[in-house]
Amino acid sequence: MIHALEAHHAPVVSLWVWYHVGGRNEVPGTTGMSHFLEHMLFKGTPTHPKGDLDRLLARYGAMWNAFTNEDVTCYFETVPKARYHTALELEADRMRNALISLEETEAERTVIVSEREGLENDPSFLLGEELQAVAFSRHPYGQGVIGSKDEIKLMPRDGLYAHYHRFYAPNNAYVVVVGDDDAAHLADMAAKAFESLEPSRDLGQPPRAPEPPQRGERRIVVHRAGGTLPLVMMAFRAPRATDPRAPALAALAVTLAGTSAGSDGASGRSSRLHRAIVEKGLATDVDVSFRLTKDPHLFWVDATLRPETAHLEVERIMLRELEKVATEEIGDAEFARVKRQLLAATAFGTDTITWRAYRCGEILSTGAATSIAEWYDKLAAVTREQIREAAAATFTESSRNVGWFIPEAAD
Amino acid sequence: MRVERRQLDNGLRIAVAPIADLRSTAVVLAIEAGQWYEPADRAGIARMCAQTVLRGTTKRDAAKWAEALDSLGAVARLDVGSTAAAFSAQCLGDDLPALLALMSEALRTPALKEDDVEFVRGQTLAHIERDERDTRAVVDRVWRELVYPKQHPFHAPPIGEAGVVRTATADEIREYHIDAIRPSGAILVVAGNATTDRVAEAASRAFGDWRSSGNPPLREIPEVALPATIRRTEIVPDKTQSDVIIGWPGMPRTDPRFVAARVTNMVYAADTFASRAGNVIRDQLGLAYYVFSGMGSSRGQSPWIVRMGVNPENVQRAIEVALDELRKVTEGQITDDDLSLAKDKLVGELDVALESPGGVANMVMEAELFDLGEDHFERYPQELRAVTKEQVVQTARTFLPPERHAAVVAGPPLPVELAA
Repeated sequence: MIHALEAHHAPVVSLWVWYHVGGRNEVPGTTGMSHFLEHMLFKGTPTHPKGDLDRLLARYGAMWNAFTNEDVTCYFETVPKARYHTALELEADRMRNALISLEETEAERTVIVSEREGLENDPSFLLGEELQAVAFSRHPYGQGVIGSKDEIKLMPRDGLYAHYHRFYAPNNAYVVVVGDDDAAHLADMAAKAFESLEPSRDLGQPPRAPEPPQRGERRIVVHRAGGTLPLVMMAFRAPRATDPRAPALAALAVTLAGTSAGSDGASGRSSRLHRAIVEKGLATDVDVSFRLTKDPHLFWVDATLRPETAHLEVERIMLRELEKVATEEIGDAEFARVKRQLLAATAFGTDTITWRAYRCGEILSTGAATSIAEWYDKLAAVTREQIREAAAATFTESSRNVGWFIPEAAD
Repeated sequence: MRVERRQLDNGLRIAVAPIADLRSTAVVLAIEAGQWYEPADRAGIARMCAQTVLRGTTKRDAAKWAEALDSLGAVARLDVGSTAAAFSAQCLGDDLPALLALMSEALRTPALKEDDVEFVRGQTLAHIERDERDTRAVVDRVWRELVYPKQHPFHAPPIGEAGVVRTATADEIREYHIDAIRPSGAILVVAGNATTDRVAEAASRAFGDWRSSGNPPLREIPEVALPATIRRTEIVPDKTQSDVIIGWPGMPRTDPRFVAARVTNMVYAADTFASRAGNVIRDQLGLAYYVFSGMGSSRGQSPWIVRMGVNPENVQRAIEVALDELRKVTEGQITDDDLSLAKDKLVGELDVALESPGGVANMVMEAELFDLGEDHFERYPQELRAVTKEQVVQTARTFLPPERHAAVVAGPPLPVELAA
């Protein structure tokens, strides 16, 4: 599947290849396999040994990278438009011809362990990983993405190769390209690059492990000395990207915490949770997120507390605010602000060519909409009542998972 | 890239890079209120002032000002950097006049009330406490303390020192605001959905009558040099990975050797794929997930540092390999391909940066802030291309001597003590 969009404000092209494989395609014993494989796609093919095309892309000033999440593995290159063909050559070649040698697998294993250890240094990663594990009893979303350290250490090369051979193929990929050229030409070039590649005959069915209904609140507490500020994290069971409530949940996230410019940002301060928690001097930051996913995932609400603040106090205020937005429609002025923030965020996200391509791929790969414009139309059409209904359906005791990070003194 | 310039009577300079086909506009207003201008021994006052400025004005309280900003859907923040305090924002193109008016209101007529200062104090102390168990923050703080003397503006990170934050008074913040937040030396850069005339008109309305009454802050800045290698290990409890910095005091952006230094940085360690250190440490030896170097762009000797995230078992080796690669650069063991790759990458990145209004605004701001000249964007690629191998070697020998570096490791206890 190839999607091309035009963007003429800069002489660049951004090429993204989305594979339908991620954490949800893994089982205990192979957690982290998709992410491990992502690293191995940078280790060369028979035609282009390791470092060959990397150096060429670096020479062109390309911005390029890859990431893996629960649903997909993604590779992208943003290049001067004259170099689009090189990006295509790289992606088409490694779609079917990656070497994934034993030697390179061993060399990369320590890099991935190091990536995991870097994440473990962050208390919010530790709490989030454990809370996600608690929130799912059957669905592989509970395993996260990077995998357990022990399983990374044991990951077999042959298993990686089989995973690669099965999932890395044109019939399991989306190609999204945005750039300074005629869209049809961009798409034709991509089609030519990928058309001769052999499809996978082993895709099988998408993973099916429906998560049974949650019957009551689940709670965890993490005690560690690795952080000094207490954290309160809530994860509510939330619907998939194709659910009609998804646009309202995106608007609900903005209602609760705004579209922040990050910690210390001046924006988002009129949002409900910022006013109720941060402005009261109880927390340094509050964050709310709803991601577009293939299967039902989570609606996250979390706060980093000031050192002297009690977890329970903040948790109660958070729940009170969630209850309020679930029972009362938001007022005119607040609704206008939320709509404006959503509208502006669509412009900010798509005025950068790389992020326009990302956004398009995210929407298409999860099935949230059939185009970026359609998704934005859905956001624009969200009503106050839909926001309230989405909150009422989501913020229930039985779908709630709560985690506290309690800092401990150092030994 | 087309950049058009104007200047208001009060000295505020305006640079506009219109970009067709965009809906949004990126704005950066830089004021000479960064660490460079902070009073000696009061590290953290500049950031406290910046944060307090965002807590309401004489016309409306913090909640109303925040509502007005969010009503535009704009994102904005006010950060203190090494040279400037930068108010950076993005808004829909039509909202630019309203955004500039809000920025002006906050900067020129902040309430700066006692309880606002208390709020900012509480937030800042919490951040400082958080940073005490954050290996990346610890390694940065300790490295600065080792390299820069107490009187130097870069001795502490911009968040400042806890002692200063605890003792800062509202009067001190007000006084700093009068002295530092001024139009002379300030630069407004706008990139994206905008025309120069519209920006000039909106800027004139928002900032045209901005006058300052205080005296611009001045301070004596000592020259910094590393007399010998210094190494320090900082234990951060309950961590898995060590964060490492190897570094040196760098050079001002205005130094004529700065362009050669950027090429040197790229040859050595700036990029995992294009630079020597990343290639060997991550790609060949698998010692680290990330390794990169960066050099600050400021009025003074900003840190020029290599950062790595490494398992404690591998720290000693990763440092040795990083220094070995540097030694090769200082000894001239770099190939023509190394050099051309570094230059090609730096030149190519200029085109790619045009894809985002924020990227364009930042490039224009660097050129304006350091008076790099109206023809900077024509000259700069040529200057990069003209850098020779000899210049790279000489720059590395002068600024990055492997035998005189400061290395700090923050994280779990190391299996063996770090060798000097």
